Amino acid sequence: MTTYRPMENLVGEGERMKKRILVCDDEEPIRLLLNESLQDTYEVVEASNGRDALRLATKEHFDLIIMDIKMPSVHGLEAIERIRESNNSIPIIIISAYRAMEDDIIVKTSNVAAFLVKPIDIKALKTKIFELIGT
Amino acid sequence: MNKKTILLLRFVLILATILVMAYSKRGLDITSPTYFVALLYLLTNLVLYFVPETRFSRPIITFGVFLIDIVAISLAIYFTQGMQTDFYLIYFLIIFIASVGQNIRGSIFIAIVASALYGWLLVRSNPGISILDSAILVRVPFLFIVSLISGYWSVTMRRQLKSKHELEEFARKLEDEVARITAKETELRRYSETVINSVASGVIAVKSDGTITTVNPEAARVLGTDQKNLVDKKIETIKGLDTLWQKMKKAIDTSKPFERLQVTITNAEEKDIPIGLSVSPMTSSDTRFAGCVAILRDLSEVKALEMKLKHAERLSYLGKMASWVAHEIRNPLTAIDGFSQLLAHTSDREKMKTFSSEIHKGTKRINHIIEDILTFARTKTQVKFGPVNLDKLMNEITENISGIKIFKKGEKDLIVTGEEESLKSLFLNIIHNSIDAMDKDPKLVIACRKSGKWVITELVDNGKGISKDDLKNLFTPFFTTKSRGTGLGLAIVKKIVDDHNGRLEIESEEGKGTTCRVFLPKARKT
Repeated sequence: MTTYRPMENLVGEGERMKKRILVCDDEEPIRLLLNESLQDTYEVVEASNGRDALRLATKEHFDLIIMDIKMPSVHGLEAIERIRESNNSIPIIIISAYRAMEDDIIVKTSNVAAFLVKPIDIKALKTKIFELIGT
Repeated sequence: MNKKTILLLRFVLILATILVMAYSKRGLDITSPTYFVALLYLLTNLVLYFVPETRFSRPIITFGVFLIDIVAISLAIYFTQGMQTDFYLIYFLIIFIASVGQNIRGSIFIAIVASALYGWLLVRSNPGISILDSAILVRVPFLFIVSLISGYWSVTMRRQLKSKHELEEFARKLEDEVARITAKETELRRYSETVINSVASGVIAVKSDGTITTVNPEAARVLGTDQKNLVDKKIETIKGLDTLWQKMKKAIDTSKPFERLQVTITNAEEKDIPIGLSVSPMTSSDTRFAGCVAILRDLSEVKALEMKLKHAERLSYLGKMASWVAHEIRNPLTAIDGFSQLLAHTSDREKMKTFSSEIHKGTKRINHIIEDILTFARTKTQVKFGPVNLDKLMNEITENISGIKIFKKGEKDLIVTGEEESLKSLFLNIIHNSIDAMDKDPKLVIACRKSGKWVITELVDNGKGISKDDLKNLFTPFFTTKSRGTGLGLAIVKKIVDDHNGRLEIESEEGKGTTCRVFLPKARKT
């Protein structure tokens, strides 16, 4: 499922396009929360599973990806690996309900910018995103 | 007649002849032919002494010997001119002796020869004697008769003797046979004892009255005592074996075998031992053999291993549960936390509504998770059973469900033994699974019926079905194929059914639908 929420207001002079963030989580409330929290500054595109995320990431341009790990159809880590095959530079932030040992190993090898454990602090997330891609 | 007897009788004959001759002559002169006769006897006796014993078994030998004796004596009397009145006595003796050991034909022949010779001697020694003289007319036939009688008597005697011998022989053979059969029986008994003793399982046999007849070493080991302490005892008098005896008694009373039972006995060492048990009645027209045989296996080690496994399983569940709880709760927690922060910074009424609604959903979700965990973790002892009207329960459940067609069929007013809340949760979980599985034209058929001690509720959906691989993991806690599943639903269903001592059957075909059959114990009529 892919949902485009209407950009409510363009920042600044209106000329510059907002940076695009792909949010991938199977939990609808989490997607909504991230969208609501980030839509003022960024254009947020949602994907409800790994397969959709992969499809979008290879087809469209994104400046950052926020990815949950435990998801049906294509697992988050698998999706990250496949994205990395074609795009080695895009920053990826993982949000997960828990951190397992094998996650750590894969995270280390797949060049992940941050690993945030739920419940995530929205402020901290925003700061991290700003550090990575600015506004 | 054996050799010894013949020789002895001939000695008697010699002595008697000499005696009679000596008496009739009033003294004997040395040249008398009597001595010749005596000498002849002694010599032939000596010869006979060396003849092998076996030859005497033939009647013809003894017959010949005595025939010669009669002729010899008659000739001796003739030559000594010693025919006296008393002389026929010697004939009686010889005839009597000779007849012994002859068959009836031989006896008649000897009688004829002897009476003829005697007649001839009488005529020779008394020239001119009339044939009608009393000496001839009485003595000759008398001699004949005596020899016949003695012959007959001897035959009869020998027959009796023979039958006695035969009888003895028969008795001996019988004894041999008995000894042989006894040996065979002992061997057989030892063999079957070895077989029973070598069986790795315990074997106990009792008579119908409970007297223990056989206990093998393994059974004695399980019962913690010696075989000799058990054999011939009544099983119900042995402490701790009442559960075992109950099952054996049931097999005896019903004449039916019962297999794969599990009972716990207390052995002689006061140890509780779980045993796997099979009991079979021993039926026989001979009431002495009727009873029951029990095969028992010590399950202590198996049970200990099972406990270890269960413990390990529990730990593994605990680990799974921890990560499951983390995942399931942290998601709504993230939502609640995030939306409450957003709520604080917005003045838009619509957004406020959305955010607070999301917070509410999150808390509901967490509560639902807690409910699931509690149901799953609840022990059987915490469940209070009573009669539950299944029809009423099903109506309560289905009236809050919308969006699918539900058809109810079967018998009404079926009462099961159970706990209402648990049963509600049981059926709700199944129905929710069905709803999740159905896409277009969702249809659920619920049918209840009685069958023996069960009330069977059948729930048939037309959903997408369950794959063969997933069927294996159906009841594994935290296993789910749904994006939003907790993985506890069917584990809870299984647990509730188990708590109710019921049974659960699930049949499914991919693309066609799933049939769920719940067996619950029918309530006893009050």
